[in-house]
Amino acid sequence: MPTSMTTAEAITLATDVLVNWVWPVEAAPPAPDRLDVTLKEPKELIPMVTALRVQRLGYLSAITGLDLGPEDGRLEILYQFCVAAAVITIRVPIPREDATIQSLTDLIPGAEPYERELSEMFGVTVVGMRNPLRLYLPDDWPEGVYPLRKDFDPSVLHNHHKEQSDAAAED
Amino acid sequence: MQPQKTEQFTVPIGPQHPALKEPSSFLISVDGEVVTNAIVRLGYAHRGIEKATESRTYVQNLYLLERICGICSHIHGTAFAMGVERLAGVEVPPRAQAIRLIIAELERIHSHMLWLGVGAHQGGFDALFMFSWRDRETVMDLLESISGNRVNYSANVLGGVKFDLTAAHIGDILKALDYLEERTHHYLKVVTTDASFLQRTRGIGTMTRHQAEVLGAIGPTARASGVLRDVRIEAPYGAYVDHPVTTITDDRGDLEARFAVRIKELFESYRLIREVLDDLPPGDIKTRVKRKIPEGEAAFRVEAPRGELFYFIKSDGTDIPSRVKVRTPTICNMTSVVKLAVGHQLADVPMILAGIDPCFSCNDRMVRVNRNNGSDGWTWEQLRQHGIEYYKQRSQDYDPLVVG
Amino acid sequence: MSSNLSKPWQAALDQITTWARINSPWAIHFNSGSCNGCDIEILATLTPRYDLERFGIKLQGSPRHADVLICTGPVSRQARERLIRTYEQMHEPKFVVAVGACALSGGIFQGCYNVMDGVENVIPVDAYIPGCPPRPEAIIDGIVKLLGSLQEPPADETDAGETIAAAAGEIAAAPHAGSEHG
Repeated sequence: MPTSMTTAEAITLATDVLVNWVWPVEAAPPAPDRLDVTLKEPKELIPMVTALRVQRLGYLSAITGLDLGPEDGRLEILYQFCVAAAVITIRVPIPREDATIQSLTDLIPGAEPYERELSEMFGVTVVGMRNPLRLYLPDDWPEGVYPLRKDFDPSVLHNHHKEQSDAAAED
Repeated sequence: MQPQKTEQFTVPIGPQHPALKEPSSFLISVDGEVVTNAIVRLGYAHRGIEKATESRTYVQNLYLLERICGICSHIHGTAFAMGVERLAGVEVPPRAQAIRLIIAELERIHSHMLWLGVGAHQGGFDALFMFSWRDRETVMDLLESISGNRVNYSANVLGGVKFDLTAAHIGDILKALDYLEERTHHYLKVVTTDASFLQRTRGIGTMTRHQAEVLGAIGPTARASGVLRDVRIEAPYGAYVDHPVTTITDDRGDLEARFAVRIKELFESYRLIREVLDDLPPGDIKTRVKRKIPEGEAAFRVEAPRGELFYFIKSDGTDIPSRVKVRTPTICNMTSVVKLAVGHQLADVPMILAGIDPCFSCNDRMVRVNRNNGSDGWTWEQLRQHGIEYYKQRSQDYDPLVVG
Repeated sequence: MSSNLSKPWQAALDQITTWARINSPWAIHFNSGSCNGCDIEILATLTPRYDLERFGIKLQGSPRHADVLICTGPVSRQARERLIRTYEQMHEPKFVVAVGACALSGGIFQGCYNVMDGVENVIPVDAYIPGCPPRPEAIIDGIVKLLGSLQEPPADETDAGETIAAAAGEIAAAPHAGSEHG
């Protein structure tokens, strides 16, 4: 079982598995207990995660979204796997406009809540998500507004609610 | 006995909960009394904290993040502070590390005792609820005497802790631990031997080791299914490096195991606190951290009372973080609840929910049944027969009783 | 109340009702997005150390049976609708107690995108109990003060509002009630 694996062994194995998988990928250890693997294409995600699963290497601890800002025009999605003290991160840069990524729920059923959070907070379309309903945001949240994007403007909400109450008053 | 017709009712539970804690909403489909599907809706307590961190300085964020949860506030503060310290490359004095550990373990004790009470209440065992909460006040008094506040004690600062432990504090803690240890033996006996309580816990909500791994369960919930998942052991941080923890696991995976694991963890916490107090390192309790944090990313994991707490902090070199991601333990275990509830009696759902020690709790007193169509449901006689059969399976025979 | 009674009978009946209301208020707790800190302290008031029930106060589940709504948290947008619905389901006369800094003004979450900055922005509040979180003693003190303000039966509803508002002001202005604990 991988639970008996030391941190250094995990990092070595992960480097071995991920870097020599089908596509060549960039891998860098920012700290002794971390390994960051940056993918070129979002479609490489599923094979990479499969590789980790085949080796039974770690468990999905979190999916973190990062908005690199409107100037950069990209979002970065971080899939963080933990084994012993090691954090193996698969970084997937995707365009801000038309952000789409494959769902991991077929491989990791526990990923569902993380993906739902990612999708409503960053406006990422997760293809194959079992339950696309909102998880955290209110029912009357305006469409197309994603709070964790850097250019999110809270006044949108105020206007949205004002429009709603005006409409209610007219009825 | 099976119901004659297969009718699906949807039972909404929540979001307003009669007695306990946080709001959340469940849509539970039932066939008769048996749960066939469960859908969870969160967000009633969503405040937008992750966004708010992006407009506050690191010091302000420490206080904001402590208020993510009032039960495990210290561990949120610790995770954030240690993540930032790692980014800043600051070495925290050993005494501060030890004090962080002691407060974290005191928090674990108070959280587990709180949970024991809540779990017992859901099982209809209010006497245990009252007893465990009475004893929990002992820990609250300790935390108050150390920090000045019962909840949200805010012991952390960037680079150390705010409060030192005096000889008087140490004496108080040791005395309280002796009392709590004696009480905990009693609780362990109660939850593993009380026949009526065991009927509500033994074999209910069983999660196998495989399920726990696949569903990504963590913390005591996973450990009760035999999965060794404890950040204090896997990736020791702070004073846990010098003071290793012994894990408590159980292979049964049912509610009883979850009760047993959490109560046994209390003994481990008592032992750990005594060990650390025994050789509390002398010296400073804090070191200076510059206001601006160097550019970089840090992922930090700690073991909260409910399981692994994951923090990801990204700094862009200013005094305001560029992104703080928090992944709390409850969300991992939620998936398991939804899966486990299926196939159980509706009345067991609150117990199963309480079993993961969610940061919100659910109570079946607000259940409202929506009948989708003109279904006739069960007749009283059918219900009576079903009840008799049900209790016979649980070795109680109500058959000879005659209803008037 | 029935208005068919003659004046002295009506007065006597009102007195009895007020007496009963003060001596046995039933409370309902609603968490509108709080961090649990206030909620566990409210729950702690029920437990043996503080024992709120000795004042005849009972915490129970249904808004239809409740006289007092104890509200915590800054009111998230998702909980807002439900808070209003819970409030509307309660019978008159009803009282709202806001517990904790967040329920008073939004507290540390003030200005966050998903909160309404306090209970008073959503439903009328009769008493405010400050603290982060308030100690159980402070919560009990606040509720007892609210009930004390009902002691003199008001002539009409406007007076009732003013009496309670005054009491609320008094409680809100009072120093942290925790310091009274010896």
